[in-house]
Amino acid sequence: MARTLSSTRGRQGRAAAAAAVVLAFALAACGGGSSGSSAASGKTSGVTITVTLAAPAPPKDALAAFTKQTGITVKWVDIDWDSLQTKISAAAAANTYFADATDVDWSRVGQLGKLGWFYPIEQFLDTKALAPDMPQIKSFTVGGHVIGLPYDASFMVTTVNKQMFTKAGITTMPATLDEYTSDLKKLQSKGISAHPLDIPFAAAEGLSTYWYETTGALGGTVLDQSGKPRFTSPGSAGYKAAEWMINAIKTGLVPKGNINVTDSQGMQTLMAKGQAASIYSDYSGNVGSLYNVPSSSSVVNQVKYIPTPGATGAAANWSNPDGIGIPKQAKYPKAAAKFIQWFTSENQQVDFAGVNGPSKAWSTYALPSHLSAVKAMAAKGNLVGGDALSAMLATSKPVFEGGAPSWYPQFSNSVYTNLHAAAAGSETVPQAITAIANTANGLAS
Amino acid sequence: MKAAPAAGSPEGSRGHAAKSLPYLLVTPLAVFIIGLALVPAAFTIIESFYRANPLDPPTRFDGLGNFRRLFANNAVLTSMGNTAVYVAVGVVLSTVLGIFFAVVLRRPFRGRGILIAVLILPWALPGVVEGILWTGIYDPSSGLLNGVLSSLHLASHGSVLLGDNRWLTIILIELVQVWQITPLSALLVLAAMQLMPQELFQAAAIDGCGAWQSFWRITLPLARPGIAVAVVQALIATLNVFDQPYVLNGAATTGSSVTEQTYFISFQNLDFGGGYALSLLITLITMVVSLIVVRAVYRRVDY
Repeated sequence: MARTLSSTRGRQGRAAAAAAVVLAFALAACGGGSSGSSAASGKTSGVTITVTLAAPAPPKDALAAFTKQTGITVKWVDIDWDSLQTKISAAAAANTYFADATDVDWSRVGQLGKLGWFYPIEQFLDTKALAPDMPQIKSFTVGGHVIGLPYDASFMVTTVNKQMFTKAGITTMPATLDEYTSDLKKLQSKGISAHPLDIPFAAAEGLSTYWYETTGALGGTVLDQSGKPRFTSPGSAGYKAAEWMINAIKTGLVPKGNINVTDSQGMQTLMAKGQAASIYSDYSGNVGSLYNVPSSSSVVNQVKYIPTPGATGAAANWSNPDGIGIPKQAKYPKAAAKFIQWFTSENQQVDFAGVNGPSKAWSTYALPSHLSAVKAMAAKGNLVGGDALSAMLATSKPVFEGGAPSWYPQFSNSVYTNLHAAAAGSETVPQAITAIANTANGLAS
Repeated sequence: MKAAPAAGSPEGSRGHAAKSLPYLLVTPLAVFIIGLALVPAAFTIIESFYRANPLDPPTRFDGLGNFRRLFANNAVLTSMGNTAVYVAVGVVLSTVLGIFFAVVLRRPFRGRGILIAVLILPWALPGVVEGILWTGIYDPSSGLLNGVLSSLHLASHGSVLLGDNRWLTIILIELVQVWQITPLSALLVLAAMQLMPQELFQAAAIDGCGAWQSFWRITLPLARPGIAVAVVQALIATLNVFDQPYVLNGAATTGSSVTEQTYFISFQNLDFGGGYALSLLITLITMVVSLIVVRAVYRRVDY
């Protein structure tokens, strides 16, 4: 058998190069989008609507009951939060339908309001009547329009492992940030916890939120009404909050490994496992849904909510609820509004919270957004730490006066990347503050 | 001499059908490539010269404005530096390891099939899953790597591996991607090696050629088509790395890649024009470097 061996540059080489070029183009060709809009229908019965949220579907029986009651069938789509935000932007920019009702995150309210990507809810529901019992509706109001309704009440709270505090001889819970810091140092020096505080220093949204909560507790706000920074002076609350947080990791109150720990990771692996003794900016509802769940926690019945220690006493809590709204490309906006009305109703929220039995509970549900529902749950003893939570909910405030600015996501990126860099030591606190302030000034002007 | 079949005759129709068959077969693929690759790519090129930001309407021609802003953006410039290191480390390591595994797997031995199946597993896993898996391995307090290093007294317990030092962070993140892309490199080189005629190696052995010489002078030159494709796929993967740095290191500038910046610019800042421009830059760099690699490494081999 005769075989020849040759090794040449030739036509096939160019063909292979051309193939590489096409492959490169195919990989990079992700920017295009189709245009087109859906004709909205006013139908409110006999239709199927798509509801897309970053959460698993509620109990089947609940959705079936809604269908029976209204004739509207719900197709539930669960997408992770980051992908969902991308999908909302991509679909709106391309004027393409993807859902009849979807997530409206508090942090994007300014952006979504300016873009007009969502229907004002007041077109369909009496939001003014809802507002007194739904205090966090303020977080979804922009330019006088409500673009989403909060379906749960998420706000930042301080949690402490009381058993660890007691072991350290601390019987009175700290009321100010100085007392809180001193107590944490006591926990460390007595060997109760090597690193008693959890701050999520990963370059992600949870780090920004922690800074806002700490800034608020020290009596300040991050941005003024026009979006200009209020944290550049070393005496400002934002500056002091950043210093306190960075100092906490430098002095070992926070484990050094937290440089890459996100908020939820810290809650699950540090606080729920008894390694950390406190989270200054925790999620409301975590005691009942995480720390008191034996399968995911080794600190059952040890963690309590305390009023957030502030500069001189208990501080207000920042609210960051989850909302639901109707995108302008929805096929059935009126049917979607009917769903939102049902989904955010007081009765339904009580069911979701598990008050009427586990079969009606929605596994990931935090806390009702209706104040009356929270109070009723607390009165019946169905809510862990209910008294503390209902008081905090009543006084919770939006992070930004006048709503999050339209450029909030870009600002937040600057906050968490620079605070992360300061924690890692590649920037100093003044450098990080200057970089964040420059971003805010550039975006606000 | 045979007369040509008359037009309309069955023989003529069959001839036409035979001639058009290849075009017919290629059409679906061509439509797919044109519709899903070339048209969006053309759209990307055009839009990269426009200020396309729904927060700053209307969409308007902006010349090289998007590109100027990209080169004035520190986060983008840092990510370009990071990506260059991802490419250098990833391409070299995955290619060298790919060749090594291909040589090991070339000859039949007991359990070879199982080993190939195990080897291919990381390639089959999504990047996000790998990122989550390696987050556990790199964890400062409970991670496997820290445990091994501290037991060998090479590092203190609780040492921070990711996020503390830029270069260490990039290398550790890229190791995860190398773990993912090396199996494909190995299979591509192995496929090229399987085509090599054994007579060549037998003749070389008779002429006194040792194993090392045989590898350098016969195996490697003949494997060049496979190696070229392996290098190009590694190049494309590393230039477009997203999942591993995003999952392991978040948005931190210590490890962010250019594709992460494309995502932030497009979908976080809604600056689609800037996103298009950065996508175009990545594409152009990929094309140019791929062409250089192919010209340098690829050689036609006929047996």
